[in-house]
Amino acid sequence: MTTAVLSQDTRTVGRGRPGVRSTLTRGSALGLGVALLWFSLLVLIPLAAIVATAGGEGLRGYVDTLTNPQSWAAIKLTVGQSLLVTGINVVMGPIIAWVLVRDRFWGRGLLDLVIDIPFAMPTIVAGLVLLGLYGPQSPLGINVSNSRPSVALALAFVTLPFIVRTVQPVLGELEADVEEAAASLGAGRLTILRRIVLPAIVPAIAAGAALSFARAISEYGTLVLISGSLPYKTEAVSVRVLSFIEGGDRTSAAALASIMLGVALAVIIALDVVQRRVARRG
Amino acid sequence: MSIEISNVTKRFGDFVALDDVSVSLPTGQLTALLGPSGGGKSTLLRIVAGLEKADTGRVTIEGVDATRMSPQKRNVGFVFQHYAVFKHMSVAKNVAFGLEIRRKNKDEVRARVDELLKLVHLTQFADRLPSQLSGGQRQRMALARALAVQPKVLLLDEPFGALDAKVRKELREWLRRLHDEVPVTTVFVTHDQEEAMEVADEIVVINDGRIEQVGRPDQLYDRPANDFVMGFLGDVTQLGEVRLRPHDIEIALTPDLAGSVPGDVLRLTRIGFEVRLVVGTEDGREVSVVTTRAHARSLELDAGDRVWITPSSGASTVPAMKSLLAG
Repeated sequence: MTTAVLSQDTRTVGRGRPGVRSTLTRGSALGLGVALLWFSLLVLIPLAAIVATAGGEGLRGYVDTLTNPQSWAAIKLTVGQSLLVTGINVVMGPIIAWVLVRDRFWGRGLLDLVIDIPFAMPTIVAGLVLLGLYGPQSPLGINVSNSRPSVALALAFVTLPFIVRTVQPVLGELEADVEEAAASLGAGRLTILRRIVLPAIVPAIAAGAALSFARAISEYGTLVLISGSLPYKTEAVSVRVLSFIEGGDRTSAAALASIMLGVALAVIIALDVVQRRVARRG
Repeated sequence: MSIEISNVTKRFGDFVALDDVSVSLPTGQLTALLGPSGGGKSTLLRIVAGLEKADTGRVTIEGVDATRMSPQKRNVGFVFQHYAVFKHMSVAKNVAFGLEIRRKNKDEVRARVDELLKLVHLTQFADRLPSQLSGGQRQRMALARALAVQPKVLLLDEPFGALDAKVRKELREWLRRLHDEVPVTTVFVTHDQEEAMEVADEIVVINDGRIEQVGRPDQLYDRPANDFVMGFLGDVTQLGEVRLRPHDIEIALTPDLAGSVPGDVLRLTRIGFEVRLVVGTEDGREVSVVTTRAHARSLELDAGDRVWITPSSGASTVPAMKSLLAG
């Protein structure tokens, strides 16, 4: 009895900020340590190294990269096409998810399975598939290779599943009686969609959009084959970084890489803000 | 009559949920649709609300043919078993929803929402999200939301089914008082006969897609139309060729009463003020008998005693059916 009381006392005398009591026990402290170490080795230290390499020549590395017209064109292309494709996914993703969740039709299970293929197949294979269908020897007579639309096409192909897969479970869990309640209160189909369904799935759309954008700006394999990587025209950042490295220009490669890192962070934060605001407004 | 249902049939595949049902539900009253799960009572309520379409038959609400009307146009308030809250909206916004859709001006909406929140005792929770409320509070919010649009009829589908026993009892008393304050025609679905008897002015007993009986609670209890109604509304036992309630059996230590049947007390259980006995009669049946503690004490009853049992005068009885022999 006494020992129990004593040990309890020593625990409550913990230090740290008042009001925020750490829930760490010895076991979970070890867990947190392992997680942080692993995360640092894999993510934090390499990222810091990139930024350090890029900053090796002070701000000049960044200025040079941004003022280099070819790099600037690559950044504009990659970010622009990624935003475009994410925008398309924001519209198409929820529609596909809706069809998969709400409609019953022959082949639904198959479609549900096929959605993941662009995500699961090696990107170079995806590039090959697209080149076969929309390249110079297109059986459809549509040749987009070496043009801007090819970049958007390739990015749209690989990012298709993201929003579908984030929205699908949320739509599935939306209870039918919530929509029925709105209907019996006089809300028409559009009102129900706008005021009940959409606010419920916006966080999922935002999460999927963030993933989709992140994947789009980092895409390499699919683009190499179909876009032709023409400087100033269809050269993406990832391809440009590679050519910097092949040319021995580590600093420029790192500078370009860390600029993309900044862009990715900015977009993810922006989507998070949008999602919070819309979800709250109702 | 406020809600007129005539010859409504509804099938789900091969399953007949409602089989040619006709019933009139009176204006301004609280009516319970009572019956076992899967008996069709929720389907009937959803057809009245327009959330389900009848295969055949007609539904008239306040004299207007609503058979083909969309739920939006019917002006009914509907309360669901699992609350159906709009999760991303505050309590006040939930209640205001129907009014905002009708493009009422802001001051009017605010005044009406305040009034309703006061009615359901949720004024201090106006700015909370539904997830921060208890089940009982959520259901009161859902009720306020349904009442906000001043519906012609209020429909509640197992409204207290998801709540624990104590809250359920509180809420049903509260619903009864609320109905006396705001006398809108109310229909609620329940499978709990105690709930129906306590709250409703009138009960419609539904089983197997058919209406078994319609009447006031005491009418149904005292004069059940058939074996099913009798069994559903209270305990039933069988004595000789009739079925009756265990508290309608007289118990004596001597064969003085005409028609009394001898038997042995097999088991005896005291629960609060009542004593429940199982009496084994000579034809091999077990008859349940309920008596008061005082009576059992005055007879000095105990297990193994020989007793004589008789249906008490004025007992409600129905002839026993072969399939329901077990007492």
